[in-house]
Amino acid sequence: MQRRVARRYAAERRFKLFGLAAVGISVAFLAFLLITMAWKGAGGFTRGEAQLTIDFPRSDLMVDPAALSRSDASNVLQSAGLEGVVDQAAVAQFGAAGADLFGPASVRELADQLVDDPSLLSKRAQLWLPLSSRGDVAVKGDGDPALEAMLTRAETRRSFNAAFLTSSDATDASVVGVWGALKGSLLTILVTMALAFPIGVLSALYLEEFAPRNRWTDMIEVSINNLAAVPSIIFGLLGLAVFLNFMHLPRSAPLVGGLTLALMTMPVIVIAGRNAIKAVPPSIRDAALGVGASKMQVVFHHVLPLALPGILTGTIIGMARALGETAPLLMIGMRAFIATPPGGITAPSSVLPVQIFLWSDEVDRNFVEKTSAAIIVLLVFMLLMNGLAIYLRNRFERRW
Amino acid sequence: MTFALVAVLLIALGAGFYARRRVVGIRAGGTRVNSLPNYHAIYVALWVLLPALLFLGIWASVQPGLVEQSVLASPAGQALPDFAMARDNIISEARQIALGQRSVGFIPESAGIAPVYAEANSRLSWIGGGIALLVALLGGFFALRRIGADFRARSGVERWLMGLLVGASLIAILTTLGIVMSLLFESLRFFQMVSPTEFLFGTTWSPQTALRADQAGSSGAFGSIPLFWGTAFIGAIIAMIVAIPLGLMSAIFLTQYAPQRLRAWLKPMLEILAGVPTVVYGYFAALTVAPLVRDLGIGIGISSASSESALAAGLVMGIMIIPFVSSMADDSIAAVPQAMRDGSLALGATRSETIKKVVLPAALPGVVGGVLLAVSRAIGETMIVVMAAGLAANMTANPFESVTTVTTQIVQLLTGDQEFDSAKTLAAFALGLALFVITLILNLIALRVVRKYREAYE
Repeated sequence: MQRRVARRYAAERRFKLFGLAAVGISVAFLAFLLITMAWKGAGGFTRGEAQLTIDFPRSDLMVDPAALSRSDASNVLQSAGLEGVVDQAAVAQFGAAGADLFGPASVRELADQLVDDPSLLSKRAQLWLPLSSRGDVAVKGDGDPALEAMLTRAETRRSFNAAFLTSSDATDASVVGVWGALKGSLLTILVTMALAFPIGVLSALYLEEFAPRNRWTDMIEVSINNLAAVPSIIFGLLGLAVFLNFMHLPRSAPLVGGLTLALMTMPVIVIAGRNAIKAVPPSIRDAALGVGASKMQVVFHHVLPLALPGILTGTIIGMARALGETAPLLMIGMRAFIATPPGGITAPSSVLPVQIFLWSDEVDRNFVEKTSAAIIVLLVFMLLMNGLAIYLRNRFERRW
Repeated sequence: MTFALVAVLLIALGAGFYARRRVVGIRAGGTRVNSLPNYHAIYVALWVLLPALLFLGIWASVQPGLVEQSVLASPAGQALPDFAMARDNIISEARQIALGQRSVGFIPESAGIAPVYAEANSRLSWIGGGIALLVALLGGFFALRRIGADFRARSGVERWLMGLLVGASLIAILTTLGIVMSLLFESLRFFQMVSPTEFLFGTTWSPQTALRADQAGSSGAFGSIPLFWGTAFIGAIIAMIVAIPLGLMSAIFLTQYAPQRLRAWLKPMLEILAGVPTVVYGYFAALTVAPLVRDLGIGIGISSASSESALAAGLVMGIMIIPFVSSMADDSIAAVPQAMRDGSLALGATRSETIKKVVLPAALPGVVGGVLLAVSRAIGETMIVVMAAGLAANMTANPFESVTTVTTQIVQLLTGDQEFDSAKTLAAFALGLALFVITLILNLIALRVVRKYREAYE
């Protein structure tokens, strides 16, 4: 008897431990994922720089000093043969293979430095310049041994890569950035929000407050519940067939992406909205009806404002999901190489998750850390949105 | 179009203000008015705006088709080749040039068509804009004639609002209809080229051979069984082996054992797991998990272990699904009446015995429904399998080998150089239709099971 009780208690402890282990594994996986991404991506926010001695008077750079004070000075310089100057100096300092060390990023940086301080042009200067993609991998310790050996002969350092946040996609890993994709994402989300929020709220109000129980409303309910569970790629196929092939809207544009994502997010908002509306107690409605308000006034003046915090929470969560969505956007052509940030909602653009997907296919090793860095940017956005939703829920949650 | 839109907005604003002033004037004259002046203003503005906007919306979606027809009817259009694909290419380039999306086309003919296209486009824009303005003005006149002291403007506004509400909720049906129609339409075209029996029961999948018409074996092989096997293998078998025990045990621990404070921390953390974008999981699976799995496979002596294994994709997908399973299980466990639990405990059962013998059997329908929804989500998941599973259509039960899935193939088929009448691109829609039908059935069963179970206790 005693033995059996002991065995049952042991089974009890074992069961509880299994439960703890299950939660532990999930949380450990999350931690593993986040730490791996942070570890790999941290490098993407820094860039390797090396000191390069450039003798401007003896280089064959032809620049009119007057041009340096103009607003497009940086572009003038870049097209005036700065690349040759950098290559020349690198070859002089590191030998024939030295030209590999500096890439387009260093030309851009050098142009900026010259604009800041035109007096450099008349002297022999030691400058910090960002390395090329291959050089960057080498300075971080796992690149080409020849380049690594070369870099031991120079002064190197790591510095914050502000350009990663302000520039757009490029073919060279050392100059890529997330700004174009981020702007595309924001525009797409704006379109999604502008469509999905009003439509979602209005249909939630209708279904919860006005709809009679009949076959039509049953059909609406079933289609909303079903749409919420339809695979996202199906919405991509819908967007491709309807918005691109039938309506001829521009390919790769935030407008089409937003429309597609709005159809996908709308059911989520409707379901969240209905729950929030259901939570408003009937006494509020009765009171308003009692003093003579019409049904429409009850809904728009009393029920909707009280349900709004709950609806907003659901909307933010839906938006966060739309922000991270990739598959439907691949279907409507948002996987093109786009090197300039979009100017409007009909301009071709990329979005952050698709940018991550595209970079993950690149063979250049420097793209690995850029991909992880972009993932960090995306995750920060997601966490901020989810945090906002949780904050709103806690701040406005009301028990009746 | 833009011009018409702005004009309609201005007319609405002007008419609204005018109506308001008039009613304020009537009121100042000492007459009692039925509705507040603002309701009159909104009533008039709605009558101007909504019909005109509705018309503009419909016009915007049919205008490209009309433009195309008028281009084809023009002399320049009749000189175009009869072959549908070549003609469509020229017209689509001409459209892009005409709308300023690119400056020169690849096909020489498109430059000649572009001005014709631009002309037809602007002509039809003017016609559409003109009709919209007319509709707006007519609406305005009609509404302005009705306003006055006795007019019930508020009920009028409320009727419009009601229409808006109904319209908004119809969008869900329209979307469903749009999905079904577009998938069905394109699939039918596909099934004209490939027989449905081959598609549904064939066991070879190699759409690549259908790329060129003059090639040997140009019909390609569109047997989808290997794709469905791969999808089920990753999504319904491997992922569920990971997700069901972990999700269920997490839910049991969080609802039955964890102290309140711990639960408050752990539950949001599981929710974060559900909020991570799938492209991140895909990248993680391809970059970190897949090499580990391959090394493990080689380590235990499986020489065919691939770096794009079913196991890597399934594992990560399973982890992604955990919070989904756990929150569904959480709900159905919480719905089991406390009295049943108390009864079992009072008879001397331990907590784990109560859970295993009483709570879980009672919550089973809900859990099963949740698992079905999770399966439906797993087989529709795209990015993880696109990034971590392979492209080769294999019918293997070895988790270390590479398999391909329906969603992966849809992405592959639609993101290359596409031509719109080939069996290759249309096959993607047929796959999409099959995926839609399968997930629809799973969802309906799951929802029914969950609902039936809930009714049993309420």
